[in-house]
Amino acid sequence: MTRWVMIADLRRCVGCQTCTAACRQANATPPGVQWRRVLDMEFGEYPAVKRVFVPVGCMHCDEPPCMQVCPSTATRKRADGVVTIDYDLCIGCSYCAVACPYQARYRTDAPAFAYGEPTAAESEEFDAARIGVATKCTFCVDRIDAGTARGLVPGVDPDATPACVNSCIAGALHFGDRDDPQSNVSRLLAENRHFRMHESLGTGPGFYYLWDREAEAA
Amino acid sequence: MNARDDAAATRSIPTYCYQCVAGPDLLTVKTVNGVATEVQPNFCAAGEHPGAGRVCVKAYGLVQKTYNPHRLTSPMKRTNPKKGRHEDPGFISISWDEALDTIAERLRALRAFGLLDASGYPKLAASFGGGGTPQSYMGTFPAFLAAWGPVDMGFGSGQGVKCYHSEHLYGELWHRAFTVSPDTPLCDYLISCGANVEASGGVVGVRRHADARARGMKRVQVEPHLSVTGACSAEWVPIRPKTDAAFLFALLHVLLHETPRERLDVAFLEARTSSPYLVGPNGFFLRDPASRKPLVWDARRGAAAPFDAPDVEAALEGVRGTEVDAVEIGADGVVVASGTVEGETSFERLVAHLRPSSPEWAAAVCDVPAATIRRIANEFLDAARVGATIEIEGRMLPYRPVAVSLGKTVNNGWGGYECCWARTMLAALVGALEVPGGTLGTTVRLNRPLSERIKSVKPGADGFMAYPMNPTDPEHWNERPNIRNAYKTLVPLASDGPWSQALGPTHFSWMFLDGTPQGLPEVTLPEVWFVSRTNPAISFWDTESVAAKMARFPFTVAFAYTHDETNHMADILLPDATDLESLQLIRIGGSKYVEQFWRSQGFALRQPAVAPRGESRDFTDVATELARRTGILEAYNASINRGAAGVPLKSERWDHSLDTRRAHGRDEIWDAVCRAASAELGDEPRGLDWWKEHGWASRPFPQTDWYLYPALVERGLRFELPYQERLYRIGQELGNRLHDRGMRWWDKQLAEYRPLPEWKDFPGEWTQALVDAGGQPAQFPFWLITARSMQYAWGGNVGMQLIKEVADNVAGHRGVIVNARRAAELGIADGDAVEIATPARSVHGRAVLRHGIRPDTLLLLGQFDHWATPFAKEFGMPSLNALAPMSMALTDATGSGADLLRVALRRAP
Repeated sequence: MTRWVMIADLRRCVGCQTCTAACRQANATPPGVQWRRVLDMEFGEYPAVKRVFVPVGCMHCDEPPCMQVCPSTATRKRADGVVTIDYDLCIGCSYCAVACPYQARYRTDAPAFAYGEPTAAESEEFDAARIGVATKCTFCVDRIDAGTARGLVPGVDPDATPACVNSCIAGALHFGDRDDPQSNVSRLLAENRHFRMHESLGTGPGFYYLWDREAEAA
Repeated sequence: MNARDDAAATRSIPTYCYQCVAGPDLLTVKTVNGVATEVQPNFCAAGEHPGAGRVCVKAYGLVQKTYNPHRLTSPMKRTNPKKGRHEDPGFISISWDEALDTIAERLRALRAFGLLDASGYPKLAASFGGGGTPQSYMGTFPAFLAAWGPVDMGFGSGQGVKCYHSEHLYGELWHRAFTVSPDTPLCDYLISCGANVEASGGVVGVRRHADARARGMKRVQVEPHLSVTGACSAEWVPIRPKTDAAFLFALLHVLLHETPRERLDVAFLEARTSSPYLVGPNGFFLRDPASRKPLVWDARRGAAAPFDAPDVEAALEGVRGTEVDAVEIGADGVVVASGTVEGETSFERLVAHLRPSSPEWAAAVCDVPAATIRRIANEFLDAARVGATIEIEGRMLPYRPVAVSLGKTVNNGWGGYECCWARTMLAALVGALEVPGGTLGTTVRLNRPLSERIKSVKPGADGFMAYPMNPTDPEHWNERPNIRNAYKTLVPLASDGPWSQALGPTHFSWMFLDGTPQGLPEVTLPEVWFVSRTNPAISFWDTESVAAKMARFPFTVAFAYTHDETNHMADILLPDATDLESLQLIRIGGSKYVEQFWRSQGFALRQPAVAPRGESRDFTDVATELARRTGILEAYNASINRGAAGVPLKSERWDHSLDTRRAHGRDEIWDAVCRAASAELGDEPRGLDWWKEHGWASRPFPQTDWYLYPALVERGLRFELPYQERLYRIGQELGNRLHDRGMRWWDKQLAEYRPLPEWKDFPGEWTQALVDAGGQPAQFPFWLITARSMQYAWGGNVGMQLIKEVADNVAGHRGVIVNARRAAELGIADGDAVEIATPARSVHGRAVLRHGIRPDTLLLLGQFDHWATPFAKEFGMPSLNALAPMSMALTDATGSGADLLRVALRRAP
């Protein structure tokens, strides 16, 4: 089996938002719709303060709360763990957006462009099927599927890898098959301490955060 | 079928991004049906580019930059002769012919009566953005300027003043370091005083530091607010603004006064620095009466000897009070002592100099506990591994994995000299200067050759590297400045190369328009001013005044992307083709700027991924037409042949030179440049078509060339540290020249020429400026500082909706950052409208409450406050630049100042 997961190494992330911009462009999302974004968080009070940058988006959960509340079966989970939305089935009720504990879903009710009227690039990329429906990070599933069909390895070969991971200048974002013990992500998870967001909710996120080396933590 | 799925309609085009000095980086542009839709990394370059073939967030804005509906896509002329912020320029579209003829007519008229005005200043001025990056988008325009003759490039937009200025000048003097970097891949312990590398280091800096953190490098971030870099560091030390010199002096104190001497790199100090040189009672080196070479104390023979005498065992200490037969030569060659003279070593002077600078003393200055300072000093020493070696490319070199980096405001303005010296001395004491793991220079911009740093290591006087100082002797001192900011007259360290005009006190060009200091020729308005990729009406200080002054310029030609605050005052707007629409070949690789250390070097092509919008035109074609219509075509072509486009078109090994008698098209020119570049790389002469397909080409660059130390050893040279005898002498000479002419207004700056830099109350300079402006310190209790916005810095991209949107995810892009607890005391809540005020001015914005900032400090990111630039003028984001004055009193000896102010903060009514 294959389970696609993403990893964000919090030791590396600098909050630059390159992934946010790359995702916006690669997926042609409208202004304000950030399927991938990076939170700028603070903990503590001066002078004992920590600041940390946390990439977020759809966690492609094992048990997606969004799927459970979807009345139209538009939201589904593939065998490889990728949570998808069928825009033809979605009725735009937004139950999923409310149910998602990661605030990862968007709904755009009308075409929106950077400067009002669409630019040439926006016209080229505009997809009317996304109006009035729920949207979110797809793990760039089209790239995964097209890449694997060509024998490429997602997370290793750029043409099969999500755009945010390709763009990450800090080498903080990784993608791969958690079910393959030899994969890049399996090695990273074995070698480092990690957590998943809101893990106690039992959603089984397919998005891991690294924060320390295993040997150091021991 | 959707066109996006049609491979035939989809192309991937290699090009480069050099929007900021931390580049260049390589990317590809995806086009669909001839429309650019996506920026992507260039993974073909991942094996060579030290940022793994990626580009940062700014590059992703280039698609929007291309299609921004606010772009100017036809030449325009002003119809309202009145200029000013509140005047509508009345721009109307005109043809390229009319635009170019209008400019050429002006230029020809100007040439007809001489290139210099009555004051001796160039009638033509040109301003470009900082860091030399605009030149990577200007095609052959540099050839036009070279063909023209004298041009005043000193009307600054922040460069030369708000940059890493002390580092640029002293760095080049001491270790060929226009910019300074840790050897990040090998460094284990880094003290970062305000260096915000995660925001300013570009793709390569971010990648190298992320790798280093993952490897275990400890970075201690010393700065008043918890920056992006502080967030990614192991420790944050919230120091009081502008007190970094005291902190660094205390680190030196611990190493010199609390550490066994043998833990320092004594061998390095003896052989590779001037530490053993004897200093006389007047503060100058004691010299051999015959050869006039500096003397050292030969411990083996118990006698003084020239520093380069064979078999000398030069003593570092134990010499003080010893009498030697010597001469002591001061300013202007005057012998100030001779015969039997009492001396001591430079090192002994250093030790005594830093005796008072204990951590306890510094704690009171910096608001950093003495124990913290002492611990950091000892951690630095422990990590230095004095005595260790490492093999690099088969060569055994010292290995010292510790470094100190300095950021803006720390290494410019008052205190910059002291910080740069202390930083470099920390490296020298443990032998960590220009060796693997240590503190390195990356590139040269004042020494020559520009593209070969190691070759710039040439023997100079007294066993040091040569340095091209502006002369201060009576015969050669430049009494009459060549340009308005008077860098050759006032700043010996600025040298006189192509970069020097922009490395002088570039605010003086603006300031002196209101009144020229006594002794300088009256500063005049330039008769024609070219502007490209810069917006000094936003990016310099005293922005309201700068805008008002450029409104007085009689004829301004702006290469314009959109309407902005500077070209609001222009007479002609020329829409040049933008980043994804135009053509140019540049050098990549080697070691250059910030953290760009490559293992290869070569060239990369920027090529049109899409057709230019509207009537926008490639800069090269504009330059050629201007040259032709101005009557300097032959000189312009000759300049290109000599290398003004980046590569000489003719050498002993190749000749692709252009016929100088006729105008050449853009592709013809760059095809010749491509062929010459290929030949320089040792390849067959590949033309433009090959480069368009491949994007870049390179040859190996040895890692050992990252380090200067081997070249110094080979050439028997020493780093000019710790004792600054040359600067001390030059300062006195400069004073003599100025005082001979009754010029006393530079005296405060002359006092900076100390042989051993001293702590002064540097924050007090800004407090005094407040008092001088009529303010009471108690009523203006906050320090206002600024910090780099990675998303915007250098990009000229404030009009990009995408950049605004993603930048807003980073704290500080929506308002002024205030300490949360202090804000509560003032009754200010997050998002409240606030006023930030000096005695003279105020700006308004929103409060952003954070805990990661000192209670006495406010932070305004970036440079905003736009009032003309479409989209950006809606931000409502204030800028430090609108509050900061241009001030002689706040200008240091190198001509720079700092982004720092005393301000009041209150809730807006």
